[in-house]
Amino acid sequence: MTTDPTTRPCALPGSPLAQERAGLDACVHCGFCLPACPTYLALDDENDSPRGRLLLMQTLLDGTIRPDDPDLGTHFDQCLGCRGCETACPSGVPYGRLLEATRATLMLHRPLPLVARLILGVFAREWALRPALAAARLVRASGVAAWLARTLPARLGMPFAMLASTTRPAAPDWTATGDGRRGAVTLLTGCVMEGLFLPVNRATERTLTVNGYRMQSTPGQVCCGALHAHAGDLETARALARANIAAFESGGAAQVVVNSAGCGAMLKEYAHLLADDPAWAARAARFAGTVRDVSELLAAAGPTPAAPSVAPQRVAYDAPCHLQHGQRIVDPPMAVLRAAGGSRLVPLADADQCCGSAGIFNLTQPEVAERVLAPKLRRIVESGAEVVATGNPGCLMQIGGGLTLTGAPVVARHPVELLDADYARGTRRD
Amino acid sequence: MSLLATALADVVGAAQVLARAATLQVYRSDALPGLRALPSLAVFPATRDELIDVIRVLATHAAPFVARGAGTGLSGGALADGITLVGLHRMRRILALDPVTRTATVEPGVVNATLTRAAAAHGLHYAPDPSSQAACTIGGNIAENAGGPHCLKYGVTLDHVVAAMVVLPDGEVVALDRGDDGGYDLLGAFVGSEGCFGVVVEVTVRLTPDPERIITLLADFTSVDTAAEATSQVIAAGIVPAALELMDAATIGAVESSVYAAGYPRDAAAVLLVEVDGAAAGVEADVVHLSGLLRDAGARGVRVAHDPADRARLWQGRKKAFGAMGRIAPHLVVQDAVVPRTRLAELLRTIEAIGARHGVRVCNVFHAGDGNLHPNIPCDTDDPAEADRVHAAMTEIMTACIAAGGSITGEHGVGIDKLAYMDALFTPATLDAMCRLRDVFDPTRRANPGKAVPVHACREWHAVPAARRVVA
Repeated sequence: MTTDPTTRPCALPGSPLAQERAGLDACVHCGFCLPACPTYLALDDENDSPRGRLLLMQTLLDGTIRPDDPDLGTHFDQCLGCRGCETACPSGVPYGRLLEATRATLMLHRPLPLVARLILGVFAREWALRPALAAARLVRASGVAAWLARTLPARLGMPFAMLASTTRPAAPDWTATGDGRRGAVTLLTGCVMEGLFLPVNRATERTLTVNGYRMQSTPGQVCCGALHAHAGDLETARALARANIAAFESGGAAQVVVNSAGCGAMLKEYAHLLADDPAWAARAARFAGTVRDVSELLAAAGPTPAAPSVAPQRVAYDAPCHLQHGQRIVDPPMAVLRAAGGSRLVPLADADQCCGSAGIFNLTQPEVAERVLAPKLRRIVESGAEVVATGNPGCLMQIGGGLTLTGAPVVARHPVELLDADYARGTRRD
Repeated sequence: MSLLATALADVVGAAQVLARAATLQVYRSDALPGLRALPSLAVFPATRDELIDVIRVLATHAAPFVARGAGTGLSGGALADGITLVGLHRMRRILALDPVTRTATVEPGVVNATLTRAAAAHGLHYAPDPSSQAACTIGGNIAENAGGPHCLKYGVTLDHVVAAMVVLPDGEVVALDRGDDGGYDLLGAFVGSEGCFGVVVEVTVRLTPDPERIITLLADFTSVDTAAEATSQVIAAGIVPAALELMDAATIGAVESSVYAAGYPRDAAAVLLVEVDGAAAGVEADVVHLSGLLRDAGARGVRVAHDPADRARLWQGRKKAFGAMGRIAPHLVVQDAVVPRTRLAELLRTIEAIGARHGVRVCNVFHAGDGNLHPNIPCDTDDPAEADRVHAAMTEIMTACIAAGGSITGEHGVGIDKLAYMDALFTPATLDAMCRLRDVFDPTRRANPGKAVPVHACREWHAVPAARRVVA
């Protein structure tokens, strides 16, 4: 037996991980994060737990394990980055930042998997992203996605089921009116939101309008960079962040509203992401302070209740990790759903556990994602809900796709879609 | 892979045996990361049969081993130094839960809080509630005879264990009970044996009905002394609180800075968390009595929490206090000792003086009603001089507790962390008796070797010529 070594050599000086070392020191190894970790529960190995991964980070820094160790890389690849451990951690370990720093450090020693590089490459380039999303819409509209989801084996069919689940019945196309007394806000349109969830973006604008916000558009937006940051490609994430900050600054709206929890968490992290860039640090901090999730703005405004329905549908709320853990936003989405007169909330057990979507995780680690999703789907069915509401495109697709494949009679919707539909119903006075 | 690893893989599958040093690092510590030992192998059985077969394979290979639950222990008890670690975290099924007999039969890897959640639907709960209950396992609780804030009124793990099926280190499976039908209380000997007697395969535990009314009081004090004196007055008044906890200013600060901020007054020198439970009428009367008593004893304010959410918040702060101390300094040295309750105030003064003399900061968060102290020292052990000062201070604190008629552990166990104090607490004859008791269960000393009782205390160990001694 030995006691903790009393000297502290760093095997990776100057690495992104070494720069975040203070966060690592906060861990006292208490293990309270274990039950909060979906991959620990699914994989049964502390190497796939927050406490274990934090210890692996320490071994990287002290040189006990080399950064090109194949097992080590696997355990970091298998982390969802859901940050469920952060809201369980008494010591305040900034796990999400440490994970990104670790992945950025490992990237110098082992390339990202091809699938990840391909996806990240497309998202970083508008000229590639737009046609890719257009093609996806074509596959969806033609019915090919739904057909492949039905016919392919589950693992191969899942991406198509996810795509098919983004289909919406004819949108309640109505015109919202409001007095704009709460000032101008501008929407981060988002890549997947505008590309595959167009009706949700319009519903977001209408519900905000009804609640007194004046919508203003911001040209020149790009991908938020969340996928890149989570994968460890911090340089690309920083480039995208600078482009977005510049675009929103020239737009001039007081607040930036986001309806994708993952993107919102990333925009709020811009201050940290660009903290070491003297030309941008202050601008990033100022910008990050203007970012709000749509549920925050709606909850601040009330929100205006929609007329109750005679036959409300049973709705379960599943918290997106980057809303609940990343942004610590817990009650506002419930306030949105409580205002939706056509919804009756039913409790969902383990609603704070990740669904396994985690950005592109379900594409790069399909097997682990499937194992994390399975208990989520069981809980949803057990809740008796007809609709599961969640405010993030990844979660909507992961849960929606999973429900499609299992044939469960439940659909996944964004909370603002439900509120918007109820507002629309009110305007029709039926 | 070694022959042993191959044989274990035949039982549980190759994916559930870890043999590379790089994948074993995360199992080198429990919740005291300052103590480290790397296992040579880790094996994770998922079922009763797999566990029994794993232990039999280990017996065939004469291989020593350490059983481990969630690794939340605080004495280095689950460290495997170059030997096999048997992780029980995959064995997490609740096999039966009977609201009529108020018992549950569970596998050893079931998490303590999970059992209570499962029992809640029947108005029952599992009473032992160590602060790590969100993560720790029932198997680990049995090994350590775990306590928790509520053991003041409800007793420790042993008081809640009805029967157990255990696999002895030689692979024999035996049923142990409390000897209620005659014979020895062998289960009583097993509970708290720190994994040195065998491994729990299944255990039946008692579930406790939820009290009709629970009320939690938070009393804050401008001096630690007054708070400590107040605990004795509460007990002397004839009230048995369900829990009676003390936290000092340093602890309050750490908790209030965390996600578990409970609304403890930051300017208090100490707070007492007092819970009373039972029949509604009696509890209401106790609260009135207690509030007055605490004020008379010098409390600056007494907050009364009836609402479950408010109570839960007060408790979350207490239970996560140890973890929250991580924000004070890079490392944390945790201790556990028991002193006579009437001497709490005196011992706390002594501890403060020891800390001051060595230039370290002691944070106190403990079960005051039981006189069960947890002096914790946030520090930077990378600084050799500071590490030495912390070690010296802790040794003096433990010595002072023993001198006051106390003991070196209330609930964390001896593990390896406190082996050094065993000789100060027990006579050689008593220690030898412990060794001989162990021999009944594990004559080859392969289960968690080198823990709990110092090997040099065993007489026949000395009788063996040094050249033939096998120290695992």
